[in-house]
Amino acid sequence: MKISRMSTTALATVLSLSTSLAFAQSGEMSMDDLVAAAKKEGQLTTIALPHDWCNYGEMIEGFKAKYGIEINELNPNAGSGDEIEAIKANKGNTGPQAPDVIDVGLSFGPSAKAEDLLMPYKVATWDEIPDDAKDADGYWYGDYYGVLVFGINKDVIDTAPQSFEDLLKSDYANSVALAGDPRSANNAIMSLYAAGIARGGKTGIEAATAGLEFFKELNEAGNFVTVDAEAAPIAQGTTPVAMNWDYNLLSMRDNLNGNPPIEVVVPSDGVVAGVYVQAISAYAPHPNAAKLWMEYLYSDEGQLTWLKGYCHPIRFNAMSKAGKIPQDLLDKLPPAEAYEKAVFPTLDDQNAAKAEIAAKWDSVVGATVQ
Amino acid sequence: MGAAIDAGTAGAAHNDTDAAPSRRPARSFAWLGLAPFFGFAILFLIGPTLYLVAGAFQDRNGAFTFDNILGLFTPQIMAAYAISIQVSLASAALGALIGFFLAHAIVHGRLPAWIRPTVVTFSGVASNFAGIPLAFAFLATLGRLGLVTLFLKEAAGVNIYALGFNLLSFWGLTITYLYFQIPLMVLIVTPALDGLKGEWREAASVLGATRWQYWRMVALPVLAPSILGCFLLLFANSFGAIATAYALTGSSLNIVPILLYAQIRGDVLYNPNLGYALAFGMIVITGCSNLLYLWLRSRAERWQR
Amino acid sequence: MKASRTGPAVIVLLGALYFVLPLVATFEFSLSMLRSIWSFEAYRVVFADPQFRTTFSFSVIAALATIVLGALLVVPTAYWVRLRFAKLRPLVEFITLLPLVIPPIVLVFGYIRLYNSSSWLPFTNSAGGTNLLLVFGYVVLSLPYMFRAVDTGMAAIDIRTLTEAAESLGAKRSTILFRVILPNVRAAVLSGAFLTFAIVIGEFVLASLLNRPAFGPYLALIGANRAYEPAALAMIAFAITWACMGLLQVFASGPPGRPRSGRSLFKLARRAAR
Repeated sequence: MKISRMSTTALATVLSLSTSLAFAQSGEMSMDDLVAAAKKEGQLTTIALPHDWCNYGEMIEGFKAKYGIEINELNPNAGSGDEIEAIKANKGNTGPQAPDVIDVGLSFGPSAKAEDLLMPYKVATWDEIPDDAKDADGYWYGDYYGVLVFGINKDVIDTAPQSFEDLLKSDYANSVALAGDPRSANNAIMSLYAAGIARGGKTGIEAATAGLEFFKELNEAGNFVTVDAEAAPIAQGTTPVAMNWDYNLLSMRDNLNGNPPIEVVVPSDGVVAGVYVQAISAYAPHPNAAKLWMEYLYSDEGQLTWLKGYCHPIRFNAMSKAGKIPQDLLDKLPPAEAYEKAVFPTLDDQNAAKAEIAAKWDSVVGATVQ
Repeated sequence: MGAAIDAGTAGAAHNDTDAAPSRRPARSFAWLGLAPFFGFAILFLIGPTLYLVAGAFQDRNGAFTFDNILGLFTPQIMAAYAISIQVSLASAALGALIGFFLAHAIVHGRLPAWIRPTVVTFSGVASNFAGIPLAFAFLATLGRLGLVTLFLKEAAGVNIYALGFNLLSFWGLTITYLYFQIPLMVLIVTPALDGLKGEWREAASVLGATRWQYWRMVALPVLAPSILGCFLLLFANSFGAIATAYALTGSSLNIVPILLYAQIRGDVLYNPNLGYALAFGMIVITGCSNLLYLWLRSRAERWQR
Repeated sequence: MKASRTGPAVIVLLGALYFVLPLVATFEFSLSMLRSIWSFEAYRVVFADPQFRTTFSFSVIAALATIVLGALLVVPTAYWVRLRFAKLRPLVEFITLLPLVIPPIVLVFGYIRLYNSSSWLPFTNSAGGTNLLLVFGYVVLSLPYMFRAVDTGMAAIDIRTLTEAAESLGAKRSTILFRVILPNVRAAVLSGAFLTFAIVIGEFVLASLLNRPAFGPYLALIGANRAYEPAALAMIAFAITWACMGLLQVFASGPPGRPRSGRSLFKLARRAAR
């Protein structure tokens, strides 16, 4: 009798211990505990989140309204490299200069993990994030993606180009521009990558080489303009055909409000998608607020907020299958078939392409100014 | 430079010794006068620079290496330095020339009194109107669909682009750079022109000198140090300018600051040590022109003492 | 020997054309926000943005702090060097020209590494400390212009005689500096102040990487997705900077008595020396 009671107690203890351990591994604390702990911290420090980018403005206001936690926003102009620098420079600093969460390009996730800058966390909707867009241990996870498209100023250009090959036509003399320097900016490099895919490139190196060749022809035809295709040059007419991420061009179209009218076209022959990833800093001064922020971003509400900013949330496929996406949101985006062809370059492909393009741009394209 | 720093410590020692007190009290006080400047320079200028330029001689893991410096001698980077130097020389020379004439016009040109303060104030503002706003302003003026381009096309039937002009070129970039180079020259040369006394000109004419002789033998030698100094300033100013060039000819004109940014901050290449080596190269070049100026100036000033 | 006035007039006119036309083009573009009519819509949007006011006032205050600190640092230094340490002059000049030679991004990266939370001077630990670091950075950036302007101004007056005269009348060092030398180089300090003000208002790299809410980063941010507002902002910044400089000029000219006191001391000294 004694033994059986002891063993029952022992069994019960082991069972309860293992259950609580299981809890600790999967969701850690419950949602309510997390909210309470985050509110106690009282603040979240973000970095590199312009309000116009992917509708982060609404996201931030939504989070503040829902949980009453203040958000301290650092440097919205920061690039991915700057965000990593900010974490490194503020190790051990619990002041307002240390970022809690970062939103960086895909290739920065693994490199930051390798430098021990990140804290792992898996959100409640973890399983709906595609495997190739997240780190298996939860250090970084894809948040949204966009595809490379053309934005055309319809005041200056009559017929919009529908494909990369169209761009070589004489109708587009002195019109086509990139939104950055192909030696350093991600969206410019992906523009070349997309052109390379349109020319039949399959791996990273092939796409890079073919893309460089395409831009060489574009420049020799006199269609390429070296000016950075921001909103002002597009509206003024210097760069009437711009290549950029769809979310940037779509929100620019809205901001310009028909003055001039902007048409956004997904190229028919080469579609490239770019993924961004979220991560929590290993030195975050407010880790619970950071985790709550992640839960918010990956909730239905957060994902749809991103979609309103024209960024495809990472749970898009799962959510549309479950019918969670309102039709009017879908209508504002370019047609879904265009996105089906999207190629998601792997990390290796991206790195190989980047190295190739950055090294060869000057010599191959030879757009050196005289 | 080393000698001066040694003199600095010797001076500090002087402070401690109790030499004949009436002989040199001024000297010990005077060193204190320079201390804030040197202290500030070391903490906020020289220190951070040395710290980072040391990175030019290190690899990613901090080990000492010459690889980064050697890596500067690739064709792409050499071409970048060449173009940077050419653009800087062109805009500095033109800026110095035009700026000098403009400054002379407002100081000695006997123009209405309100012109000088207006031009000087405007120069102060314009000398920092650089970067994207400036690039855009020129696109909106001299670009293919710019105000002046269209005006010339419609009113005068002249298509400057058909005649070979292109804002997105070496000379277009130089013309854009002049927008902040000329005001800088005006601002700094104007006080020097003030020092050109009217009596000298009268004296020269009394002695029978022509205007040209006056300029060649009196005015220019006196002004030479200031003009040379400004030319140097303009050269270095232009060498480091990145935002304007990036916005206008970003992906085509291969200049050093753009490469520097790409290495230190870019999303892609991100080899910061090579970036520091690039910065080191920039410092060497502009530092050399600095020393050249100081030498030239000391020669020019020899007769002045 | 009467120089004609047409040459200078033509030069000033051509210069005015070159400088004013791009401004006109920018202004015209900024008025085009509403389709096919000219309106101040872009300006309305900009002024309604609270970020504009906060960042612009931050930059103005930073600029004024930089000017004061810069003048306090440069004027005594230029004076001492000219008066007593002529041999050190090349070194001091070399140092003041370094900020032109060193790209600001190298400077700010150095600051972040040297003065971050784990260093002996943890400037970046607090917002106030970082603001101070930012102002120091601005002083460094404006050092070449401030020093060159003040140095040129000092070269134009005979500081040796002024100093000796004042000393012979029993003035202390600080009196000499602030009441004899400074009024005479006022124009030079002013010109250096002009340059400093314009530099600080538009500065981007330092402010953005030190995460301070200054005007430069705000300008860059607006330019990302909007076309007409940046042009409006550029015009506004231009106009306000010009107004501030105009004020500086009026304020620093001071009451008519000030400059005269320097000159009469000079005359007094000359008489005493004879």
